[in-house]
Amino acid sequence: MSLKYGVLGLLKGEPLHGYEVKNRFEAMLGGTWDVNIGQIYTTLQRLERDGLVRPAGPRGDRGKQLYELSPEGQKALDQWLAQPDSGPQQLHEDIYVKLLLAARIANGDLQGMLARQKRAYLQRLRDLNRLEERARRDGRLDLARLVRGALLHTEADLKWMDELSSERFGTEGAKTE
Amino acid sequence: MDGRIVVGTFRYGGGENGMSELVRLTDVTKVYQGGLTGALNGISVSIEKGEFTAIMGPSGSGKSTMLNLVAGLDRPTSGTIAVGGTDLGKLGEAGLARFRRDHIGFVFQFFYLLPNLTALENILIPAQLMGNVATARAAELLDQLGITDVADRYPARLSGGQQQRVAVARALINNPMLLLADEPTGALDTHTGEQVMELLAGLHRQGQTILLVTHDAKLATRHAARVISVMDGKIVDDARLESPERAPSDVIRVRTEEVSR
Repeated sequence: MSLKYGVLGLLKGEPLHGYEVKNRFEAMLGGTWDVNIGQIYTTLQRLERDGLVRPAGPRGDRGKQLYELSPEGQKALDQWLAQPDSGPQQLHEDIYVKLLLAARIANGDLQGMLARQKRAYLQRLRDLNRLEERARRDGRLDLARLVRGALLHTEADLKWMDELSSERFGTEGAKTE
Repeated sequence: MDGRIVVGTFRYGGGENGMSELVRLTDVTKVYQGGLTGALNGISVSIEKGEFTAIMGPSGSGKSTMLNLVAGLDRPTSGTIAVGGTDLGKLGEAGLARFRRDHIGFVFQFFYLLPNLTALENILIPAQLMGNVATARAAELLDQLGITDVADRYPARLSGGQQQRVAVARALINNPMLLLADEPTGALDTHTGEQVMELLAGLHRQGQTILLVTHDAKLATRHAARVISVMDGKIVDDARLESPERAPSDVIRVRTEEVSR
């Protein structure tokens, strides 16, 4: 997702300084997010340059600067929220490429690869289930919903492995150029 | 660890890790005349006492066949099945029926309650077949499963979730050594299905050995620490899942892109 709009969204309603943005972001996503404070500062500077956020008041303690949403920033945020996620499906895990390569390589252990990947997905499902339980226990229903989405995605990945396993891969896939 | 409590002191053969084996299938095949679907093709597996195991696989893979054989509802074409140290193949029809009644609890997708009997009467059937008056046990189960207030209703007046609870109580009335469940959430909506699974998980925490057939990987991995995958009548994977506390970022990573230029 875009860090830019995430920052804009957090600034809606109240001005924050960089470190607060980072903390709010981390709290919202329940520790499922990895970003360093430098990226936040860079993002804020660029948003300020583009007129989407503006300083709220003078710099305070140790150069801390509060930022607030500008009317342009508000408009950009609203547009982003209203727009459905379209564009290409993001496939960023190695398995997609591994599978294609394994089908090309003679004696590629495709069934073994599928079985190992399937087991990894099962373990991930278990971990996600734990995380969902924890989120619910902590009263974080928003986070539980996020985890639920991840659960369903992983379930689909698992089904895909099953489908591929039952396909009886020959070498024909490797011949296509 | 999953808080498992192993009850009982009998050891049924030499299990690993000091656990005792409850079920053993050895080279089990099942051939159906005129069709391949559901057949088993040389299955060997052992289930320990106190385990919550899920059997997963596509329809026609043989997973339900496996459960029916362990339940003694059907007999294998070849191979041996031992449950609690008893070789089911050595039992005659009457002996097998008695074994099922005394030691196996079975929960089905479509409940199979008798429509002309109340919830309580349904629950009591297996005990009555044993010649037992199990009203105290039934009351305990009704309470445990949260269906005391509908005990006198007929199945038609129960929701799906309530019917499945009654079916679970019926399966447990004789304190079976093994609880088998074939798609117990298959006819229930997601929420009710999760409640029934929570119930099974609670029974497991009290020491109940459970063998669950399901196609729902989310539910299977939530409750079962062991997932056996069956395909084309063979076991293709037998995964023992870990359940350590992991940091959220080790389970999910939300990726962010920096604003460009």
